[in-house]
Amino acid sequence: MKKRTLTTTALLSLLIGITAWAFYPADTAPVEELELGSQAPMTETEVKDVSGEMLTLAGVAQENGLLVIFSCNTCPWVEAWEDRYNPIANLAAEKGIGMIALNPNTTYRDRGDGFKDMKQRAQEMNYQFPYALDESNRLADAFGASKTPHVFLFNSDLELVYKGAIDDNAKSAEEVSRHYLRDAINELAAGEEISTRSSQSLGCSIKRAR
Amino acid sequence: MSEKIVFQAVLASLIFCFVFLEGELRAQQVPDAQLIKDINGEELQELVDSYQGEKAVLVNMWATWCGPCVEEFPHIIKLQRKYVEKLQVIFVSADFKKEDALRFLREQGVDWTTYFKTGGDEAFINAISDKWSGAMPFTKILDASGNLVASWENKADFSTFETNVKQAINP
Repeated sequence: MKKRTLTTTALLSLLIGITAWAFYPADTAPVEELELGSQAPMTETEVKDVSGEMLTLAGVAQENGLLVIFSCNTCPWVEAWEDRYNPIANLAAEKGIGMIALNPNTTYRDRGDGFKDMKQRAQEMNYQFPYALDESNRLADAFGASKTPHVFLFNSDLELVYKGAIDDNAKSAEEVSRHYLRDAINELAAGEEISTRSSQSLGCSIKRAR
Repeated sequence: MSEKIVFQAVLASLIFCFVFLEGELRAQQVPDAQLIKDINGEELQELVDSYQGEKAVLVNMWATWCGPCVEEFPHIIKLQRKYVEKLQVIFVSADFKKEDALRFLREQGVDWTTYFKTGGDEAFINAISDKWSGAMPFTKILDASGNLVASWENKADFSTFETNVKQAINP
């Protein structure tokens, strides 16, 4: 009798689990965004840069910190903000902060986000920073990145000090009123408190492998 | 026998054309200014609240540049038509150009008022949901009392939408 109850309970649990899974929105991987103050994850994991070189986040980081941008080739929001990528990379380099862009769009590798496409994009846009493949969106999952572009800035101890958007106006660099990332980089390098530690913006969902 | 089959095929084609064209025509009849209106976060909240006590509400943030949004769009239209008495779908476009959204709405045969996001992203995201990171698409479903039934980022299939809508309609 007891055995039968146990079996029934187990079967019911399995059924509930399968039902819950079946009705969970397709393509949705629930991700918890890294909390401020957290250590940068997967810093020793190798990622392939468009130059062909294998890089790690620990290797990219410089004396004052690390800037990670989840980006891609196929998102109009990336395109809209892209004119600010190189100025940000140059500012970061000047302030002793290493920058890397990671492409986590696993299910779009044959739809414009493949390694060859990335190489071409980096060349065309003259990227002044590494642009690497985030295979199987492992780093995006570890960071809890949900969209492109999605920015994570770490201090010299690789603790998260800013996350979110580049600024508050994707469409026009001239009409930006709040330069979130630029200000955070300047404040971090100056050893000051980061005035705005997180921000939100629209973006393209990351095309994750289920 | 073969004549009967031909007749049935012709009839089926005519019915299909009628249904398809009827939707297209209805969409064409809605003026541009009615088919898509500007809205900011605060106004959207007021709009959603205005359905309390009347209908369940499905808010969907979409854009023509967003592949998953375009893929799931027909499911939502189907739901609106199926549950027209009990559900109000509120489409909000985050396109860069309103004309792009308008063209797509016409192609899809949408014949009710939809909205075009205005104002800054941050205020808009905060007004819609504290569970939304800003990734597109985003959907939230409320019952007629204004209680949140479900919300999610990324695309969903028809059965997921319908399961949650049914729950919102019959809480």
